[in-house]
Parts: sequence; C-alpha cells; structure tokens
Amino acid sequence: MAGRAQIPTSNSALIAMIADEDTVTGFLMAGVGNVDLRRKTNYLIVDSKTTVKAIEDTFKDYTTREDIAIILISQYVANMIRFLVDSYNKPVTAILEIPSKDHPYDPAHDSVLSRVKYLFSAESVASGRR
Amino acid sequence: MEVVDHETPSLENGKTDKEVEENANVLQFMDSMDAYLTLIHSLSSTLRRGWLELASARHSMGASRVNTVLLDHTSHPAATSLLVTQDEGKVDSGKPHFTLCKWASSSNENSLLGEKQSSQDKLHPQLRHRGSTELYEEKTSSENKASREVDDPVQKERSKSLSMFGTLVSPKLRAAQLSFEAALETLVEIANMRSEMLCAFDQVNMKLAGRKDEK
Repeated sequence: MAGRAQIPTSNSALIAMIADEDTVTGFLMAGVGNVDLRRKTNYLIVDSKTTVKAIEDTFKDYTTREDIAIILISQYVANMIRFLVDSYNKPVTAILEIPSKDHPYDPAHDSVLSRVKYLFSAESVASGRR
Repeated sequence: MEVVDHETPSLENGKTDKEVEENANVLQFMDSMDAYLTLIHSLSSTLRRGWLELASARHSMGASRVNTVLLDHTSHPAATSLLVTQDEGKVDSGKPHFTLCKWASSSNENSLLGEKQSSQDKLHPQLRHRGSTELYEEKTSSENKASREVDDPVQKERSKSLSMFGTLVSPKLRAAQLSFEAALETLVEIANMRSEMLCAFDQVNMKLAGRKDEK
C-alpha cells in the first residue's frame, strides 16, 4: 500500500531493558545482555537513585538505535515517563510494559491498551450509531 | 422497531461482504486483545517464579555473589537476539514479526538451528507410525542424539552466562535462568500479538472513519 512505512528487518536485533535490578539480572542470565565497543549497554538498572532525566535519555536513546527491536520497561518506570512512552507509536521498536516485583501489571496504564480503549468508550459507540 | 428479514438479504451483496469484513476485523481485534492480556498474565506468573528463584539463589549464595556489580562490562555481543521480519501474511502490511534466537552467538550457529528445529517440531508434531515400531524407535533415538548434540552448546552458553556469579552456582540460580528464558519467549509472543492487535485496530478505525465520512 502506498505510504506504508517499510519495517526495518534485522537478523540480530537486541532486546533492551529499563527495569529494576532483579528483572535486569534475570534477563541478563537469559543471554540478552550486549555491550558494544564503546561500552554502551542495552540495559538500564533503575533504582532509587536513578533520575527521571536519566530514564528519559535512555528511553530516547534506545528508541533511536537501529539495533534494538524490543524495549522491556517496567510499568512503574514507564509511568515516570508516561508522556514519552505514550507518544511513541512506531511498530519497531516495540515497547513492552512489564510488571515488577513490587508493582504488578495494571492494564489501565498500558500504553497500547490506552491507545485502543477509546473504541469501547461511549463516545465512539454513539458516533458509530449516528 | 426494525424487523430483520433473514430469508432474503436486505442489502446488496457488496454491502453484505463489507459488513462481513468489518465483523471479521472487529473479531480479530478482540481476539488479539484477549490473547495479549492472557499472555501478560502468563508473563506475570513466570516472572514471579523467576524473582522467587533468584531471591532463593541470593539467599543461599549470598547477596555479594548475586549482584549487578559482578556484571560483565567488557565488550560482548548478546547471546540471545531477535530476528525481525515483515509479516508474511500480507504484503506491505506494515506489521513486524519477531522471532527469538536463543543462545545463538556467532560460534554457535548449530544451536540456532536446533532451537528453530525444535520450535518447528512443536508446530508440526510427528505422526505416530503404528506397526513400524523399530523404525520409529531408531528415528526417536537419532532425534534424541541430535537434540543432545544441539543442547550441549546451548548448555555451554547457559553456563557461560552464569559464570559471572562464580563457577559453582546454586540450582535455584539455574532454575531462575530457565524461568527468565521462558519469560523471554512469552515476551516475543506478546510483541507479535501487540503488532496484530494494533494492525486490527487500524483496520477497525479506518472502517469507522469511512462510515463517518459516508454519513
């Protein structure tokens, strides 16, 4: 279809993580950790000392990197930069909000579900019936 | 009150097909959203298991041995990566498809083949051959030998990944590793379901917008 953005294909794309220590440790044990020649990693461990600016900068960096296809972000961290997360809507890189130990997953805050939930709102139903 | 006549189509064939297509799009959207939420729920329980096993490993090995300070900060590629392709279902669909390549480092291409082969076997399970037991047993033993050969490099990669925590690690740490591997597989399914859901959502949205324009 004319005007459709081409999906950038890759055969060795990375999974990036912005999450708490235990989640990042676990996924690093599963082999997703990558450190390039400039010592840049594909993960950010978020703790009490991590600033919102640092999280924002990392998120922007990961969404612009061509070698990253999926970003895993703890939902409570995503809530800190909700505006940024919700405004990102490209098919690749896919942003997946995941639960953390202390913060269970809440579908009401999920950016993907927020995008589609208006279909179920009274306004959209009413406008369809007119 | 509107009376619907079921015997004769009240609309011309073109419009009826359009309604069928719209209904199919809506159904696909609802199904993919349901699958997305189910997968998230499954991911939550897998992660909980992984965190618990990691905490148990930390308890038995000591907090200083299971620590992010020990992470390898030297340059190294990811052993587990993703294959991103355009969805084969529709040309120019704009829908990406993600495939997980576990433990597929550059020196381990056989394991990638093994992992893909085992996933293909899951999709197309072998039929049972009654009456040719010997042939079946030979085939099974050769498959087991092949899977063992494939598993060895994978096991080596797993051990290498845990080596940052020391040579001897708690079985709970190994169990946590497997749990997080399972979580990764679920996450890739979630990513694919997310693409499907957004694609179906776009279709439904387009139809709604078209209907508003007509009115």
